[in-house]
Amino acid sequence: MNDKTIPESKGNILIVDDMPANLQILNQILTEQGYKVRPTVSGKMALKSVQSVMPDLILLDIQMPEMNGYEVCEKLKADNKIAEIPVIFISALSDVFDKVKAFSVGGVDYITKPFQAEEVLARVKTHLKLSQLQQQLVVQNAELQNTLEYLKVTQKELIQSEKMAALGQLVAGVAHEINTPLGAINSAVGSINRFLDQDMLKFPVFFQSLPKEQQPIFLNLLQKTFTQNTLRSSAREERKLRRQLSRQLEADNRIKDAETVASILIEMGIYDDIEPFFPLLQNIDSEKILKMAYQLSDLHRGARTIDMAVQRASKVVFALKSFARYDNTEEKVSADIIDGIETVLTLYSNQLKHHIEVIKYYDSLPRILCYPDELNQVWTNLIHNALQAMDYNGTLTIDVKNQKNQVKVHITDSGTGIPEDIKDKIFEPFFTTKRAGEGSGLGLDIVNKIIEKHEGKISFDTQPGKTTFTVSLPIHQEFNQS
Amino acid sequence: MAKPVILCVDDEKFILERLRRQLRDKFGKVYSYEVAESAEEAMEVIEELAEDNENILVIISDWLMPDKKGDEFLMEVHERYPNIVKIMLTGQADDDAIERAKKHANIQGCLHKPWQEEELFKVIEAGLETLKT
Repeated sequence: MNDKTIPESKGNILIVDDMPANLQILNQILTEQGYKVRPTVSGKMALKSVQSVMPDLILLDIQMPEMNGYEVCEKLKADNKIAEIPVIFISALSDVFDKVKAFSVGGVDYITKPFQAEEVLARVKTHLKLSQLQQQLVVQNAELQNTLEYLKVTQKELIQSEKMAALGQLVAGVAHEINTPLGAINSAVGSINRFLDQDMLKFPVFFQSLPKEQQPIFLNLLQKTFTQNTLRSSAREERKLRRQLSRQLEADNRIKDAETVASILIEMGIYDDIEPFFPLLQNIDSEKILKMAYQLSDLHRGARTIDMAVQRASKVVFALKSFARYDNTEEKVSADIIDGIETVLTLYSNQLKHHIEVIKYYDSLPRILCYPDELNQVWTNLIHNALQAMDYNGTLTIDVKNQKNQVKVHITDSGTGIPEDIKDKIFEPFFTTKRAGEGSGLGLDIVNKIIEKHEGKISFDTQPGKTTFTVSLPIHQEFNQS
Repeated sequence: MAKPVILCVDDEKFILERLRRQLRDKFGKVYSYEVAESAEEAMEVIEELAEDNENILVIISDWLMPDKKGDEFLMEVHERYPNIVKIMLTGQADDDAIERAKKHANIQGCLHKPWQEEELFKVIEAGLETLKT
């Protein structure tokens, strides 16, 4: 039979006293209660002992030869590894005992001799418990810190996946926004190349064959087409102008196929003041002349279209890149807020085009220290909500105000407004008015968090026909800016 | 006396101009060329031409347009004018929409931007062939 009468140690206690008799008394009192005791007769021995076995608590006599208790305590506290161990001073009542000094060197308590066993045990128990709790606290804090870091990472990932979801929805439109300019470029280049291959070399002979007096007229016609930008006229306007021109041409019976001639002239950007060119149109070879003029002028139109299409595609790619970038640094960068808003508007340009009027009032703004990618998410979310609230039909107003030390961005839609009963819920995580699968409901919650990260504020004002979300951001700038 | 018409529909004017140029280059005087910047405008043009007894033979339409999308537009056209050759031209392939257009608008073909000129002409000519039967 195993007689386990010795209880497990309740703690390791180091006792330091130059009087062996005192050591023995304390040893007995503590050992009886299940503590493991290490008695030492001098400060020197005590300091050696803690290096090999770390006690949970130290009972320290004050009056000792060579090194007194205060000095021993100072040495203990100087070592980081053992500084946390609670030290209780023991002093004889008759000794000059400086309580202030005791606490100032790092002692946590004192016991006066002669002492009661119960008192010693009570104080030892209390301070051991205190020390144990402190250690637990340190561990728990470390755990909480880890959890906080983990949550921060998770939140970042959540924001990123929201961004990706929004991006996914945009990609469909964006592919179109890039392929369409590509289509125009491809087509224009094809036409230009064909002309250069087949018809360009015919030009000198053609020009020579024109009656001398019609040559300058031909050149004037070309000149006139160079000054026109047909892309500025709508299809509707063109049809109207063509009807007018056709009537004018029909009136002259020397001009054949007035309708076709009118069509071609309109395509070239010749809408009126056509009289000077009548000789060309009355010429027996008018068809050939007009064709040559049309083809030559189209080189110019094609080039202009290519230019415009390249700019358009670049803008979309840039907007997409800005939007999709994963900002890995925790540091703010200096950015132009209005650029960000314009980037988002570019990505939505297809949806804004026909039935939404966009009104912009931009104050001039300095560059601001911020997280531009995250602010782009804010603009995307608010603009997207605005468009949906209006059912893609109405007026979107963006007002950016510079108020000396803060920027205010107001985004207003002409939709039906936010109902009274959901007004205080809209920023709640997972709250959404959309059908299942159509939105995570995290949008405004994330927007709010991003704005908080910028030390800004978001608020809204709503009534049927006019809802405005206002984001205010403090202006922090880099030091080398004025 | 009136020439048959080819109508192009796209919300981007520069696409319309390029298409018109290619078609005029290829077919010349045989056809009249009309353009419209939305499904709504296209319907207006179709109706005006019908009033003037002018014959639309071919419609080439974009798919992704702000208001009414191309598949819906072409399906409506098919209901009223089943004999028009309908071709969809898209910068963005929504497979469902293409399926719908094939089924309910009987489109002759669907091309992707950037399109190849030769392919466009092939589809148009194939469509015109079917009208002869």
